[in-house]
Amino acid sequence: MTQAAATEHHEPVENTSTGLNSRKLMMWAFLASDVMFFGVFIATYLVYRGKSLVGPYPSEILDIPLTSVSTFVLLMSSLAMVLALHYVKAGEKNKGTLWILLVVVLGAIFMGFQFYEFREFAHEGLTPRTNIFGTTFFILTGIHGAHVTIGVIWMAFLAYGSHVGSLRSDNSLDLEIAGLYWHFVDIVWIVIFTVIYLISFSDGPPAGVGPTILH
Amino acid sequence: MANLWQKLTQHDGNGWWNLPHGPSNELNPPFEGPIGGAWFGNLWRTLTHGNVSHAGVGFYWLVGFVLAIITLVEVWLFTVEGLGAWFIPLLLFLSLAKFVGVVAYFMHLRFDNRMFTYFFASAMIIGILIFSILLVLMKHASQPVLF
Repeated sequence: MTQAAATEHHEPVENTSTGLNSRKLMMWAFLASDVMFFGVFIATYLVYRGKSLVGPYPSEILDIPLTSVSTFVLLMSSLAMVLALHYVKAGEKNKGTLWILLVVVLGAIFMGFQFYEFREFAHEGLTPRTNIFGTTFFILTGIHGAHVTIGVIWMAFLAYGSHVGSLRSDNSLDLEIAGLYWHFVDIVWIVIFTVIYLISFSDGPPAGVGPTILH
Repeated sequence: MANLWQKLTQHDGNGWWNLPHGPSNELNPPFEGPIGGAWFGNLWRTLTHGNVSHAGVGFYWLVGFVLAIITLVEVWLFTVEGLGAWFIPLLLFLSLAKFVGVVAYFMHLRFDNRMFTYFFASAMIIGILIFSILLVLMKHASQPVLF
């Protein structure tokens, strides 16, 4: 492979002090700040983990099979996103539009799962005001859900743009930046799924307290 | 061991962790295989007939498949009894593997200007420090029981 051929696969050097595209750098800076934002909420959840004095407790209410499916859906949306970017960059408009639409659909399915889970929890007596688990759980997953919602709306606009031809290979950076945001939402969920659902599932009532009678 | 480390962190002699010299001579990077240079880089060139410096559709499907399998293993571990103290470290390790897979390949950090990697890695380090300090402080603080 020649040096010239290798170079043409890479982005052009931008006329900025860093040689990087400012919009893309801004998105990475935003993601860097969002790492700390989510990090604090995850740390807060861990600090108060197992401190609830009243139920429902994680072991009584979390539905691992359901959340595993929604985790898989979000993971596959990331795959759809990277394929969408590939096809848009390659100038294959129809395939690009289709894959962006799939990201929208998978993101919406994930939101549906989260809405269903929140509703079930509320039905069984867990709200942000019930106990410290409810407060930290709903804040963390709720903020993540808000990120997903913003991402879905953003992707819907980009799907429309790709359909009408305003999103093309020459301005595919628009999709790449949105893609960075979408993948970030996915990696945050990877951590949340492990910490809140898988690791905390064994958290039951404190010693001497009986199980909660769920509605 | 030192040789292995070099292979993992460098590609074509252009050190992964070296700061770029400047925009004019920074190709970021000049040639990229999915995992380091050396043997995997050669395999990558063979697989792609030397025409592809970036990952393609097949590679993305492969990464997606591996991530899905890791998720399945996580859920399976959840059902296995007797892991004891290994349970949490194993889950954290698998979670980290998925995290790195998405960041390196789906977010293209592996194929992109290394300045973005520094940006994100710096934030991760600061985030983990904040996270750890908060956990240590709260562990030793007298915590009011709220409800």
